[in-house]
Amino acid sequence: MSSNSGWKISSRKISVSWIPDPTERTIMSNLDLPKEQDLVEYRVDRLLEEADTDTRIVVLSRQGDSLDTFPIWVGAAEGNAIKLALDTMITPRPMSHDLIKSFAEHLNITIQRVVIADVKNSTYYATVYVANKGVERTIDARPSDAISLALRAPCPIYITHDVLKRRSTTNLDAWLAKLEAKHIGTPEVQET
Amino acid sequence: MLTQLQIKGLMFDPSNNAYIVVLRDDEHSDMLPIWVGKSEAGAISMALENVTPPRPMTHDFMKSLLDAYDAKVISVVITDLSEHTYFAKIHLMYEDSEYTVDARPSDALAIALRSNAPVFANDSVITKQSSDELKQWLENLKPEDFGKLDS
Repeated sequence: MSSNSGWKISSRKISVSWIPDPTERTIMSNLDLPKEQDLVEYRVDRLLEEADTDTRIVVLSRQGDSLDTFPIWVGAAEGNAIKLALDTMITPRPMSHDLIKSFAEHLNITIQRVVIADVKNSTYYATVYVANKGVERTIDARPSDAISLALRAPCPIYITHDVLKRRSTTNLDAWLAKLEAKHIGTPEVQET
Repeated sequence: MLTQLQIKGLMFDPSNNAYIVVLRDDEHSDMLPIWVGKSEAGAISMALENVTPPRPMTHDFMKSLLDAYDAKVISVVITDLSEHTYFAKIHLMYEDSEYTVDARPSDALAIALRSNAPVFANDSVITKQSSDELKQWLENLKPEDFGKLDS
């Protein structure tokens, strides 16, 4: 957007990388679902902002072992939705995930748990477990939506052993430490 | 009184760094612009352009949740405008009962588009919005200003 005179049309181009088979079900089959013993409970520890970027990092930490952290990169809007719930901010109007919760409440649907169940090409996949009158359904979701909803429900967040095993091997702790140091205003050390 | 409106398109408003969803009635006599944020505009634009993202976006998830229990969005209504805040209601049908859920218009429109549900506005909202300044701006719009979103 280069002009400051008058109204400009949004000319956002969206490239479609994948057209799903319309017959594909968003509701996953029970065969794909992780079993209870494969799950490790995590909680949302904090949300990190990278200055001047559209990226936020949700840091999950293992229940009972806060040093075991699991970072997930999300967009700015998704990060804000998580931050609002983390800070238990009441917005004047319901935000999108408040609306999802409101739908669930109206229809008597319980949000039971969310599971980060898969990782493909550095993208995490989450599953939201819901139930209504004993009928359980699972819904495919991005982790950001799943976490936003889990904080509002509230319900537990799990990561499967399989995903934990396959998480990135880069030294995230060092990277996070550096980021947080930057965050509180320490001058950035020039890397050589 | 309710008037049915079509979502005609989305425009960028650089003075507020926000987006405007332009709603119009079938006779093109009434127009209702609604200012929304960037991510809210994205959710509406994806549905308008029939873009299928690689992963379900927030409103796709919302639709999946309703689909999982066969709940249907019957309609959405822009009900009120008060101190620059718009109010909307989403009407759901589930197991032969109707439910009315309070929402922001951006969420209501994003879910309406994904559910092929009609959009209505209270006439009082349409009248309130028609300030002279706005009217003038809207009258000066050329058809091409709507770009390919005006289908």
